[in-house]
Amino acid sequence: MHRRLHGRGALFDVEPAGLVPRLVGLRPYQHRALPFEHPGELPFVVLTGARGLGKSAVLAELRDAYKGHTPVALVDCADEQFAAPPPERPAASWSPLAQALLVVAEQLAEPVTGAGRITFPRLMSGLVAVAAGGWGDADSERIRREVERILLLNESGSWISGFAGRWAGKVAAKVVAAATGTGPLVSGAIEATLESIAEGFSSRRHQKASVWYRTYPNAGGHAQRGLILLSGHFRAGGTSREHAERYLVRALLADLTEAYAGVLPRMQRLGRPLVLADNVQTGPGPGLVEAVLRDRAEGIADQVAFVAGLRGDGRELLRGGSRRELAGVARRSEWTPDPAVPSSRALLVALPPLTPDDTLHLVAAPAAPQLPHAVHRLTGGNPLGIALLAEAAAQHPERAGSLGGLLTADVQPVEDGPAAPAYLRLLDRLVPADRLDELTVLAAAHDHDSACALAAALLPDDFGPADVRALQNRLAREGLPAVPGQFVGDPFVRTLLLLRLHLRDADHSGWRTAHETLIAYYTEDRPDGQARFRLHHQLALGQSGPAVAHLRDGFPVLDTRSWLHTLRFIASAPYFHAHDAEGRDFTGQGDRRAAVALGRTDAQQRVPGGVDGVLHLRIRRLLHAVWLLTDPLVLPDPKVGDRLRFELEQLSNLRPAGNALLWRASRDWPAAALAGRPPADPEDDDERDEGDDERSGVA
Amino acid sequence: MAGRGVGTWLREGVWEIPLRRYLALLVTAAVLAGLVVGVRVVLHDDRSCAPGVARPEGSDECVGVATTAFDFGHPQLRDTVQAIARENARLKPGSYVTVAVMLPYTSTATANLADIEHELQGAYLAQYQANHDSNGQSPVIRLVLANPGATSQYWQRMVTQLAGMTGGTDRLRAVAGVGQSTDNNKKAVKELTRLGIPVVGSSITADDLANGQGGKDPYPGLARVSPTNTDEARALASFAKVSAGRALLVYDKPGDPYTRTLQTSFAALIKGSPYEPQPFTPPADRSQEGTTANTFRQITNLVCDTSRTTDTILFAGRHTQLRQFINALGGRGCQDRRFTVLTGDEGSYLTGEKKLDRSALGHNLSVRYTALAHPDAWGTGSPRTGGSAADMATLTGLLKSAEKAPVGPIGTVALEDGQLIIAYDAMRLAVHGIREAVPEGKSVPALADVGLQWPQVKGSLRVDGASGWICLDAHGNPYDKAVPIVELRAEGGSRFVRIAWPEGKPPSGECLPPS
Repeated sequence: MHRRLHGRGALFDVEPAGLVPRLVGLRPYQHRALPFEHPGELPFVVLTGARGLGKSAVLAELRDAYKGHTPVALVDCADEQFAAPPPERPAASWSPLAQALLVVAEQLAEPVTGAGRITFPRLMSGLVAVAAGGWGDADSERIRREVERILLLNESGSWISGFAGRWAGKVAAKVVAAATGTGPLVSGAIEATLESIAEGFSSRRHQKASVWYRTYPNAGGHAQRGLILLSGHFRAGGTSREHAERYLVRALLADLTEAYAGVLPRMQRLGRPLVLADNVQTGPGPGLVEAVLRDRAEGIADQVAFVAGLRGDGRELLRGGSRRELAGVARRSEWTPDPAVPSSRALLVALPPLTPDDTLHLVAAPAAPQLPHAVHRLTGGNPLGIALLAEAAAQHPERAGSLGGLLTADVQPVEDGPAAPAYLRLLDRLVPADRLDELTVLAAAHDHDSACALAAALLPDDFGPADVRALQNRLAREGLPAVPGQFVGDPFVRTLLLLRLHLRDADHSGWRTAHETLIAYYTEDRPDGQARFRLHHQLALGQSGPAVAHLRDGFPVLDTRSWLHTLRFIASAPYFHAHDAEGRDFTGQGDRRAAVALGRTDAQQRVPGGVDGVLHLRIRRLLHAVWLLTDPLVLPDPKVGDRLRFELEQLSNLRPAGNALLWRASRDWPAAALAGRPPADPEDDDERDEGDDERSGVA
Repeated sequence: MAGRGVGTWLREGVWEIPLRRYLALLVTAAVLAGLVVGVRVVLHDDRSCAPGVARPEGSDECVGVATTAFDFGHPQLRDTVQAIARENARLKPGSYVTVAVMLPYTSTATANLADIEHELQGAYLAQYQANHDSNGQSPVIRLVLANPGATSQYWQRMVTQLAGMTGGTDRLRAVAGVGQSTDNNKKAVKELTRLGIPVVGSSITADDLANGQGGKDPYPGLARVSPTNTDEARALASFAKVSAGRALLVYDKPGDPYTRTLQTSFAALIKGSPYEPQPFTPPADRSQEGTTANTFRQITNLVCDTSRTTDTILFAGRHTQLRQFINALGGRGCQDRRFTVLTGDEGSYLTGEKKLDRSALGHNLSVRYTALAHPDAWGTGSPRTGGSAADMATLTGLLKSAEKAPVGPIGTVALEDGQLIIAYDAMRLAVHGIREAVPEGKSVPALADVGLQWPQVKGSLRVDGASGWICLDAHGNPYDKAVPIVELRAEGGSRFVRIAWPEGKPPSGECLPPS
């Protein structure tokens, strides 16, 4: 089969049919019909999720799966062509949605197996009318260029194509003449278009199309008047333009409906046409979604299968939409619209991260059998991250032993382009490009206040607390999880950002400054509960002494559970670069944590006076073991795992009260680390409490 | 989408798309139908010969009713069947009634074939005359050729076909001809008449293929043109003055209806003869040679052993056996004794027979037989009643016009064997019956009415046949029909001797059979 996407079977499966095959009524990659799930009205499917969860990949795959079998169009609403009108075109006669409709129709028109091109006479008339509004001072060459592209929508491509080509040329000439001549411009162009439609094609279909605009409000039964009104509304902008745009969308859908109506089309065409719109949160996307949903809510039915990609969870755009997990729609979507709420006609399907098994299939690394698990632990199942790391591992098999090595390796893109380090290429796709620098710094922060402190120290002056909050909201809107205790909730993105911060300056000065700022922010006079933040950043800079002291002193007095939390939080400090014994950056490669964890440096270690030397060294070994084993960039070392178990066992003997928790951690943590899972909480499920926060924060 | 096989293409590119599926099904059905038709054409054992004519299973004979110019594989029939087809094609559907000429067209024996050709010629001439020279009387007559097979083995098939032609535009109203008096023909006539189809026998002479024998009418609607064997025998007797002491009977055992009735009639003539009748047993198909030649050599010895007053041999057999007998007599020991062989109309077959030892006829042996008709029968010395030279002249006039278009050509004509004359007369009798049965104001008679006309054919309603007057008695048998006595000539052909009458004298002018 053509399974190039892993973990998306709920959308693509054939037997039993997945969501999209059920809606389109065709098996993917095959020209074989399937029964429709919603034979009457079908849901507007919106795939939701943060960046990198594979929405675009799913849509592209859907396009490939159905291309040539049913009319299919794929538009990326974030594409540049929808951002602004072409240079010479006035904004009054151009809108992202109108442009998107033209692009969609051009793609849908392509012939498919068993049936020829689809013509869009209604949309063509409407677009000509809209474009005519901007021809006030245009030269005839520009008019001809614009109108000819639109007229091609009516190209049937059949054996009379020679005739149709002549027709397009004739109409273009007529329209140009009407537009550049004297007299009311718009009506002249519209009249010429309508006349040509009525003249050039005598079939019932085209006659029906030529009178479609009669029903435009206030048109009074005259199609021409309807088009003039449409053009006027479009130029007026604001809600009037929205109204006109809705009519254009309706024209597209009516043309599609017409293409599927009648005995002959029904005997030639299988399934439904498929429109794929990526990034509908931006550009023409919201307008398109709303127009379709409103028309459907008002009973103007169509049989077009829409699948859209939406960054975030869509709570703003589609508040009333039906929400489903991907696995929940694998067999049946069980969707019924609420007649009162147009947005309930959307079916929002959240794309989940990939499973460890999917990762295993994607990352083929015979040299490093633990790599797939480690990749999954690092990326949290993010498909983009997995795919790029797999690519990096394929291009640099010698670095497959270290995820840090893979992330910093230059990866040659599959398509032509300059090679770039993997972590930068991932950041390009996973965070808003315009806020990458700010996020790079703020990734080290833990909440709004600490972020503000960082911004004040490291970011330009014009980036104030309000901007910090706006950025925080934006991340939430884009679907990144909001996690208390971390400014950037997604561990994978945070790791990448911190890596960028670390590597931004050759001497790591930015990185150092950021951590020092936070160390200063979390001063020692703060409440004891916040000491772990300071210790976390100190450890990130290589200073393990304060952390060891804090843990050692807290062990006898602190509650075992919170002690373990603190240990894990502190040990989640990033370790991108080797440190020397004093915590200074070490020029060579290598990771000294293993040596410390295994007790090889105990001899050189000077135990502070007045403390239990054995406990001190044990805590130190334990801290380094946890630090190493929970580091997502490092493949787990079984020897360190054994050592971790041993140290925790020993500690459990010292604390009869917390014996059970410590003992269970001694079993669970090494196992989880070796399996590529984040370490599980040592509590029973029914004993969960506020500790969730910290657990989620551990990458 | 690499590796898309033909199967995938058929499944997805054709079957899944309803329009293409239905078109493909149509094309497939058309191709299959074409294949089936093609295979059937290639494999089918086409047993048909021509419209209405086909070869039955296990036979190569073309049997049935030919409605087109089909010559049954005999080129000598071609001219005649084409002349008939031309005449048939001229007729408008609805204006004609059909008369079938039933003869064993697929017979391979030369003598039979010549007979068939001549009979067909006679029938055609009568058709032509009926359609052209009868003051526009209606209905006009269409001729079709009904073949029951060489030995009439497939008579049932033919009868079924004929029965199916009584309706529609065919409107079969009579079957003429019949041919020889064989058992199969007897069954055929029995069935035809049972179905109400009138039959006019031309050369049948057997007594039991006639009505009125023993007071019964087993063939209602059968009329005959030739006298019965009994009448022929009576005529022979009246001619030769045969008496018991001077004649020896040689007969076919077990015989067929013809030979049996002839035998019976002869036996009655020579009742009390001192000589035991001598039997011979020919093959079932009496046109085959068989082993009878040996039997005849022995009989020849017996002939020589008879007393010297014995000079007449009565032969009750078919022509092949007659020829063998004559050849045997040619080599008889008693060449000095003069013998006359008397036999029935089968003798006429020998006039052109190549295998006949004609030198035998020079050695004090004469063969005389009763002909069904003879071209020289009517002349200046003929009686005033019972027939006329003028009637014969009509036929010869027709024959003359048939030498070229539009009437002919009809092939080579020979009158001596009488077959042409008798078939012509039979056809004329059929036409007469059909036209007499036409109700007032209509142009076509009912099938049942035609057969009812036969008893009326007498007196002024008689048919003045070329072979003599045809007056039918109440059973459809000719009354006192002229019987030409003919003698085989040593140099070939035959010589008319004189007319004999079953009643001993010609009929009266009224020609009314005694009740």
